[in-house]
Formats: sequence, C-alpha cells, structure tokens
Amino acid sequence: MSLSWNEFPCIALPAMLCWLSAGLLACRRPRSARSVYVVDALTITGIALSAVFIAAFWNALSRPPLRTMGETRLWYALFMILAGYITYRRWNYPWLLLLSAIVATVFTAINVLKPEIHSVALMPALQSFLFIPHVIIYIIAYAFFGVATLAAGVLFFRRRSGNGNDNGLLTFVDDLVHVGFGFLALGLLLGAVWAKEAWGHYWSWDPKETLAFITGAAYLVYIHLRHQGRKDNFVLWTLLVAFLLLLLCWFGTALLPRSSLHLYS
Amino acid sequence: MSLSFSRAQHTCSTTRKLWQFPWGYPEAALFVASIILVGFMLQLTVGHFDIAILHYPANLIALAILAGLIALGTRFQNSLFMHWIAGIPVAITLTVALLLFGLYMELTPQLPRMPTQTPDLVSRLGFRMITASWPFVFLYTMTLIALGITTLKRLLRFSRRDITFLCNHLGLWVLLASAGFGAADMMRVVMHVGAGETEWRVFNQNEEALELPVAITLKKFTLEEYPPNLTIIDRQAPPAPQPDSKPQPKNKQEFFQIDPKRPKGRIGDWAITLDEYLHTAVRVGGEYRASPMPESTPAAKITVQNLLTGEIKTGWVSAGGNTPDLFFSDLSLDERYSFAMTQPEPRRYASDITIIPKEGESFDAILEVNKPVSVGDWMIYQYGYETALGKLSHWSEMELVYDPWLLPAKIGMFLMAAGSLLLAWNGAGRRRTNQ
Repeated sequence: MSLSWNEFPCIALPAMLCWLSAGLLACRRPRSARSVYVVDALTITGIALSAVFIAAFWNALSRPPLRTMGETRLWYALFMILAGYITYRRWNYPWLLLLSAIVATVFTAINVLKPEIHSVALMPALQSFLFIPHVIIYIIAYAFFGVATLAAGVLFFRRRSGNGNDNGLLTFVDDLVHVGFGFLALGLLLGAVWAKEAWGHYWSWDPKETLAFITGAAYLVYIHLRHQGRKDNFVLWTLLVAFLLLLLCWFGTALLPRSSLHLYS
Repeated sequence: MSLSFSRAQHTCSTTRKLWQFPWGYPEAALFVASIILVGFMLQLTVGHFDIAILHYPANLIALAILAGLIALGTRFQNSLFMHWIAGIPVAITLTVALLLFGLYMELTPQLPRMPTQTPDLVSRLGFRMITASWPFVFLYTMTLIALGITTLKRLLRFSRRDITFLCNHLGLWVLLASAGFGAADMMRVVMHVGAGETEWRVFNQNEEALELPVAITLKKFTLEEYPPNLTIIDRQAPPAPQPDSKPQPKNKQEFFQIDPKRPKGRIGDWAITLDEYLHTAVRVGGEYRASPMPESTPAAKITVQNLLTGEIKTGWVSAGGNTPDLFFSDLSLDERYSFAMTQPEPRRYASDITIIPKEGESFDAILEVNKPVSVGDWMIYQYGYETALGKLSHWSEMELVYDPWLLPAKIGMFLMAAGSLLLAWNGAGRRRTNQ
C-alpha cells in the first residue's frame, strides 16, 4: 500500500478525533469501566491510523520519511501520543493523555495545512543505516521531554493554586527527563558515529551539533539540580528553558546565521 | 557528588559568609568567572589559543599533567575544597558557562581561522572563534579536572550501584580528553585526483605541496542520478545567478517528481500525465530516443491539461544536457511560461580507486559517501567531483583524515552509550532507591 500527502487528511482527521476524544474521555469524572475501554480503543485506533500512514508513505517514497520537517512531525505526533498513552496506563495520569493528544493533534494539523511536499530523492549523505535510528531516537527523546515539560507545567500551576507539593509528580518528571536524556545522548552518539563515517569527524561544532550540545547541557543542569535535592519552582523553570532550547535545536537551525550540514530540505 | 555533603551545604548557605567553607554556588560562580576573565586577559595579550602547541608529544605530556592533577585532587578528596571542586555547584556552573559560550557561538557567525587583517575587539577577545579562545579552553580544561576528580573518587570506591554514573561520567571524560587533546594531531586534507592518474600530494592554502604516506589511483568515477523534477518556469525571469527565481509559482515553487510508478500529478492549474520517461536520451529531430551516450540527458514526454480552461498540450521536456539552468522544452504554455525539467540530483557517486600505502600492500576500493576506507590512522572519504559535468566529471576529490586519537574517543562513546541505555532503562529509579 502506498499513501502520499494527498491522502493524509483522510487519515489524519480521524486519528486526531480519536486522540482528542480519548484524552477528554480519560479526564472525565466519574470514570466507568466501560469508558476506560473506550479510551484504550480510541487511542490505539488513532495510533494505528498514524502508524499505517507512516508505513504506507515510507513505501510510496521508497525511503524513510525522515528527511523534511513535515516528515519528522509525523513521527513526533506518533511518539508523543505513544509516550502519553504509556504514561497514562503506567502511572495513571489521564490529563497527560489529553495534553499529549493536544500536542500530537497540533503537529498533525500543521502537516494537514502545510504538508511540505518534497521529492523522493535521498541525497547520498543521508544514505546510511544510521539515518533511521539517529533521527527516530532523537524524536523519541523529544517526545519524552515534551511530556516532561507538560507534566512540569501542571505541577507548576498546581503549586501556584495551592494544591500542595506533589512529590510523586516531580519524581515522575525526573523519570521522564532521565529516560529522555538517555535517548538524547544515544541519538547524539549515533550522530557522532555517523558524522565520522560521512563528514570525517565525529564533532565539528556544526550549528545543529552546537545546539544539540546546548540542549543536552540544559537538561544536565536540571538532572544535577534534582540530584542535589532541589525541588523548588526554579528547577521547573530550568526544564522549560531546556525545552525551549530543544525546540530551537529542532526547528531553529535554518533560521540561525551559520549554515549547517544538517539542512537537507 | 555526595548527597549528604550537598544537603549540609544547602542548609548552611543562608548563614555562612562568602568564601567560608563549605563553598557553594556563589564561590563556584566567582571561580568560573575568574577563569573566564583570566582567559580573556590571556587572549588579549597572546592572541588565540593555537592548538598546534599541543602537537604530539606535547598533548600526551599535558594529558599526563592533567591526570596527575586529578589523582592529586582525589588524594585529598576529604578536604572541603576538593568536595566542592567535585561537587554539583561547580559542575552546574561549568555546564552553564559552556552552554552560554555554545549559545553565543550558535547565534553569531564563527570563522574557521583567524582573519589576516587587523582584528577588531570582538575578534581579539576570541568571540569569532570561540573554540580556539582561551576562556573556552580554560573552561574545557576545568571541566576535565572537576569531572575527572568526581569520576576517580567514585571509581576508587567502586560499587555496582554506581555503574550508570561511572559509564556516563568516565565515558564523557575519556571522550572530552581524546577530542580535546587529539585535536592537535588531527589532520584533514583534500586530494584532487584526475581519472587514470595517481596522486600522493595535497596542496595547502599557500599552494605548497605536502606529501602523504598514501597514494591513490583513480580508475573510474561513476555517478547515478534520480529522475529529475518537472516545474513551470517563467522564461522572462532573470537568468542565473538567481535560477531559483524561475520555477513557479514564485512565492511557493511547485515541482512534480518524475516517477514512472506515479505518472499523474499537478502543478498550479495544470494536471500532468507522464507519457514516457527516458533517463539517458538524445534529441533526434523533434523527438528523444534512448541512448547510453555520455552526453545524453533525461527527457520526459508529458501531456498537460489546464484545469480551468480544459486546454491540452503534449510535448517533450529535457534537462538540457550538462549545462545547468538551460532547459529544453517543447511545452510552452504561453509566451511567458513553459514546462521545464530540473537538473537530476545524484543518487550515488563513487570512485573506483587503488590505494597504495607507503608501507604495505596496495589494494582496490570503491569509495563513496558514507563509506570511507581506513588505512592505518588515516581514513579516506569521497569528497567531491566536478558538479557542472555530473557523471562526466573527469576528476574526483577525496578527503584524507588523520586521527590517531579515534580509538580512545570511540571507547568514551561506547561507555557513554552504555550509560545512556542504563538511563533510558532505569529512569531516575536508581537515584530514588539511593535516597
């Protein structure tokens, strides 16, 4: 089966509808046993639709759809909702399912409105077995950090409204950040190995590399502050700054003054 | 980074005075700021940090001194000063300082080498070449020292619970040390080899020849291409150097990727049907015929229909041989616009070479992007070709990279990868049980 951006809205719209209604239903009180099943069914249907599109699109392009911003947004939406769903099931945070459904919907909606049609050509520099793991591992890290930022935001507003200190939620954020950082470092290392194969050196302070270093350093600051036992709002702000730097790393490379070897579209 | 120490320091921080032990963030901030300040002063007096001074064996000696300092620091690990150096406040302050330097580097243009003309103050302070500036080198070295003491401390009282910590910190230290000290020995040169020729020299910027311990014979250069794109161009638009202004619509250029599996598409108001595609064709009369001749060009016979008026046109469009920006098209839409074909993009290019090392047996290899060949501490990469001629290029450029510190760097990366996997697997769980 082959699908292209032309067919994307027909799959994206039902998927977004599934995610959003699952998120809203999960947050509704009181919760019945049946509504729990419906939430599962809706989320999984949405995830399956999105995964089927990626697979069929991959087939149509005869290359992995990881080259353009639009293509990475497809994966981000998928991993975001996956991470949200796993954490909802594992730690029972229904609002996290809703928030990740909203983020996944926004990313999918951008692709429906602005699909960035590109050629199927994959330039020789991208033809490597490291291409897929490098990009996908990064997007998984971004998804974990995205969920961590949402959870930190909720914690911040709970504290401001005087709902007390939810240490459980902060520990949960720590878990997400540590897992995210594990993936981020792996993505970076795979990138370094690939850079040695393709460009001659594993680290060249290319703008994307510099931004990846900056992002990693910002998350290291959060991790070390927490290891020191800091729990105040300052650590939550650190997380927000780190996520803003991450977004700059993801989307901002083309806007910055230095040209990057990482621009392919 | 002992937690009990940090906690003690946290509670004391409100009552103690500056520079009264145990030290914390204010001292760390002042300390790092002083390092940067001294760096800037040195930068103004002696100019950039020249990595060449660390050329082998100087880098080994410097590394040995650094290792000695770390060992000495670990020897006195119970002193409050060493607790502080190896503690979280110094680690975070150094990380933030490096982050800010990185951010500055990201937001401003950086030069690959020092300009020859009289530099302005920004250049003299090293801001146009951050990684070769003294403040950055000092921060890097201080990070190696602090990270080294922290790691060695844990290594000496090894516990299986610390395995994630050790993989991440030791791995990072080994990688930073090999990358930093190894940078002095690294050499990157580009060799230009004509088809059928053998070369062993490279030329630097001053056109001085440098002989390498390896010679390369280029037997053949090959290039495969993707089918090109179709687009609508404005024949009245200014020609090169702005060829990009040609494809239409101007503000959102559209392209139709030729793919015999998907012969239908659309650009603007025109529906396209691909009738025939020849990747290597020559023009004979008004038609194109398949031909493997070197001068051949991609050509496509298409039928287009205007969706507003219903008008139908059929004709051949080609990429115009090997001259960029020159389109051949029998498919004019009106006096101004016509269908045209872009230059095909390379799918794969490779050099069929023989590598003749100064010592040892010579051997044949196919060099292509992402597939370098190793000869001792050298790696040879496919670098470039004559892009204007594409598959007809009669030379190939290869980059030769010498990096004798690659192995330790790889060991560091391997350790860090193990640490990252453990982090991804455990989350913050291990830390919680520690607490």
